[in-house]
Amino acid sequence: MSKPADLVQGTLDLLLLKIVALEPLHAWAISQRLKQVSGEVLHVSDGSLYPALHKLEQEGWIKAEWKVTENGRRAKFYSLTRSGRQALERESANWERLAGAIFQVVRLSEA
Amino acid sequence: MLETRWLRRATLRLRTLFHRERVEQELEEEFQFHLERRIELEIARGLCPARARLAALRAMDGMEQRKEECRDMRRVNYIDDLLRDLRYAGRNLRRSPGFTTLAILIMALGISGTTAVFSLVNQILLHPPGVSEPQRIVVVRTRYDKLNLNFDGASPPALADARANKEIFEYAAAMRPIGFNYADGSVPARLRGAAVSAAWFDVFGARPALGRVFTADEDQPNANRVVVMAYDAWLRLFGGNPGVVGRTIELNQQPYQVIGVMGRDFHQAGAVDVWTPLALPPRAFSPQNRFNENLSVVARMQPGISFAQADAWLRWNADHVAAAAPANLRSMILDARWGMGATAFTDSSAGKTKTPILILLGAVGLVLLIACANIAGLMLARTSTRAQELAVRAALGAGRRRLLRQILSEGLLLAAAGGAAGLVLAQGSMKLLLRLAPESAVVGLEARLDIFVLLFATSATLAAGLLFGLAPAWQSSRIDPAHTLKGGVTIHGARQRSRSVLVVAEAALALVLLVTAALFLRSFARLQALNPGFEPRGVVTAAYTLPPGYANPEKQLAFARNVLEHLQSAKSVIAASIGRPIPFSNDNEGGAFRIEGRSLAGGEAIPQGDRRWVTPDYLRTLGIRLERGRFFGDSDRAGAQPVVVIDEKLARRYWPDEDPLGKRIQPTSGEGWHTIVGIIGHVVHSDLAHDTGRGAIYFSLYQHPAPMGSILVKTPLVKASSVKTSGDVAAVAAIRDAVRAADPDLPPYDIKPMEALLANSLAPRRFAMRVLGLFAAAALLLAALGFYGVLTCAVTERTREIGIRIALGAERGAVMWLVVGQGLRLAAAGVAIGIGAAALFGRLIESQLFEVRPFDPLTIAAMAGALMAAALVASWLPARRAMRADPAVTLRYE
Repeated sequence: MSKPADLVQGTLDLLLLKIVALEPLHAWAISQRLKQVSGEVLHVSDGSLYPALHKLEQEGWIKAEWKVTENGRRAKFYSLTRSGRQALERESANWERLAGAIFQVVRLSEA
Repeated sequence: MLETRWLRRATLRLRTLFHRERVEQELEEEFQFHLERRIELEIARGLCPARARLAALRAMDGMEQRKEECRDMRRVNYIDDLLRDLRYAGRNLRRSPGFTTLAILIMALGISGTTAVFSLVNQILLHPPGVSEPQRIVVVRTRYDKLNLNFDGASPPALADARANKEIFEYAAAMRPIGFNYADGSVPARLRGAAVSAAWFDVFGARPALGRVFTADEDQPNANRVVVMAYDAWLRLFGGNPGVVGRTIELNQQPYQVIGVMGRDFHQAGAVDVWTPLALPPRAFSPQNRFNENLSVVARMQPGISFAQADAWLRWNADHVAAAAPANLRSMILDARWGMGATAFTDSSAGKTKTPILILLGAVGLVLLIACANIAGLMLARTSTRAQELAVRAALGAGRRRLLRQILSEGLLLAAAGGAAGLVLAQGSMKLLLRLAPESAVVGLEARLDIFVLLFATSATLAAGLLFGLAPAWQSSRIDPAHTLKGGVTIHGARQRSRSVLVVAEAALALVLLVTAALFLRSFARLQALNPGFEPRGVVTAAYTLPPGYANPEKQLAFARNVLEHLQSAKSVIAASIGRPIPFSNDNEGGAFRIEGRSLAGGEAIPQGDRRWVTPDYLRTLGIRLERGRFFGDSDRAGAQPVVVIDEKLARRYWPDEDPLGKRIQPTSGEGWHTIVGIIGHVVHSDLAHDTGRGAIYFSLYQHPAPMGSILVKTPLVKASSVKTSGDVAAVAAIRDAVRAADPDLPPYDIKPMEALLANSLAPRRFAMRVLGLFAAAALLLAALGFYGVLTCAVTERTREIGIRIALGAERGAVMWLVVGQGLRLAAAGVAIGIGAAALFGRLIESQLFEVRPFDPLTIAAMAGALMAAALVASWLPARRAMRADPAVTLRYE
């Protein structure tokens, strides 16, 4: 229900971890960054972003801090924890293996 | 690493739990921040502020739901929600006190019944009071398969073997019952004793309340005479005076020193007043005594040793003994198929009560299930009236699972309240059960809640709560808010259907209980109508045991004759005699015998018969039929020709084609040849339902005097029951007078009407029958309540339809049939399923039935009829309401 239909199950976690790994960001910025770097291909609805972030925080993979933005507003910034980095590495490796496998299958020539 | 992560999670959760407001506020702020950014973005794209806000909210896709999802992600929500759900449920239940009271009452009855029966199971089968770790205690068993003998008992050499094997057994000890005449006050008293070896109390882990128990040195022949008193006997005889320890008392005219008082909880099948050392002499352990299994032997297994291991070792040891025996003995052992084994202590001590109480536990479980179905039905009825409220909650963002939890927590709260009330009632139900239960099975048991019973009650309550919460929870989670909020249609087909399913289940379970109770009742009636082969009415019995001063048989004979002479001259005594052992006294004696002129073919079992020693008037006192020949006379005394009388069963078994009169037999115990002079009717000796099937040999007590026996006195029967008891009183007085005249220091004991002995033998069955009757009645009542509930609800929901039908000219009778017909259809479905279930349950109770088949068509038909009648009555009230419906009112109603 909270997962966008066009994202493979579990990939949202990976994307969020990766984005937060680059620099601490607040949720709104994360959603914008996601759209931006994926060339508008990956779109996560505003609503489904928050439960996912709260889940990652509960897992202990990201941590939240209240900081002031460049516009002088208070916002909740998420950053990666050490166990989050390990999770990211694990998930990325999984993803690469999976993607590689799918790629191989798709490229099978119909001889 | 991992720890820090757990720590972080834990702090997060605690924060969510305890700084709820702050966390909530932060959640709000985070969403607000997002919303503002999105609105800015939309305005920048050219929307007006109002539309931009709308668009931002739409992008959020249900902001409240999203927040709830975030809360869900912080898992402590479960605890938080649970508390909130419980508070909410509490408020809700308070708002409908009628429903709540009824549900709690039903639940309380179910839990109190279940708890009471379980407490009995716990105290009898799982944790007998006063015994530590009962599962580690075994009773040594002996069997002679060829003779169809299998009993708890063992010989002194077997005791020595068990004692020597320290790998299997920590302690092993033996006991032999012994009676004492205690003369301290003016009236002589009879004490029930147990002669035990020193480790007896260690086997049971029983500690004395005062003083000490025997040492190994005191468990030797000719050692100091010492005695440990049972707590109850100490209270009774010495008023609980602690100074009794160290004092000397006189038992069987011998001085014994009291060295201790046993702990209050340690009862031994309730029948011990004093323990004395068994003090087996060394010769008792000689190999010749191997097959003299006259001891009760118990052993405590070493920690970690299983029952199967102990059993296997005992079997192995018996085989080992057989293999090592001399050739002639070995062939006898193999012929008789002698062997040993173990019985679990609790099985042995529960004895015949085990199966009945397990059946009762099953039955009360069924009652609890019916109660659950009943409450589930009530809750379903409520959810249909609460559909609006639930729909509002769903629309406001409560997820399906939240709603489910909400209803479930209502069920749990009801269950908890009912369970608590049930525990309060349980005390009373336990007392009732103990009063109904056979005395021999529940001596020393108390109506108290211990930790096991509490644990059981709690788990039963939780399970019940989940059970009756599930159906309505599932129903309510299927509510479609859009549909219901629009004013909804009030025909709840699915809900009505699941309520019907519940009622059908209740009816089926109730039928199982009704049939079971009826089968027990019929078995009991059959047993009571059974002719035991003698006439118990008007007969009073009393036992006596002569002290060592009567070692000479002449004196024993003189005592017996003296007592009988006194009794015969007493007025209102029709007949008096002495017998040993008498029917239904839990005492029996049997033995092998040879028949003159016959030799055993190879492998043929040696003839066996029960043995009785009686005086000439025994037949007349008990009204036993004389078939042929004669019974004993005064002249059948020592010095005269040795004679016996046999019963028809023995005659048919060993002389099927010839006349046994005049034939001679010789007991293998060495009493010489006896001529058979008469044949009498067979007497059931101890169990109406399972007669031993063995015939009996009667000896003349005057020919073979003994230092103990039972006096039997027959007084005339008077019609009115009150006068009849006074007849008993006269008989008791006559017995006391006669015994006092023969020996003023001798206490007659176990003074009981013969009818009471017979009734006691049926006590476990009577108990099971009465309690099952109670359960069946409760089940029937609950099922009727269920029918009433579901039909009342149906009538309410169909008020409009009924109104229209009446307005269109439907006959009142047709309207009534609409309701009653529904009730009967449901009952019929329940009966159909219940017959199948009763057939299955019947197999479990088969062993407890007597001359009634577990699938008895007549019983089932009668009980099905009773159930249908109850359903009819229960549907009559709602049907009457439907019939009286005024179309003018009902059609205006909505």
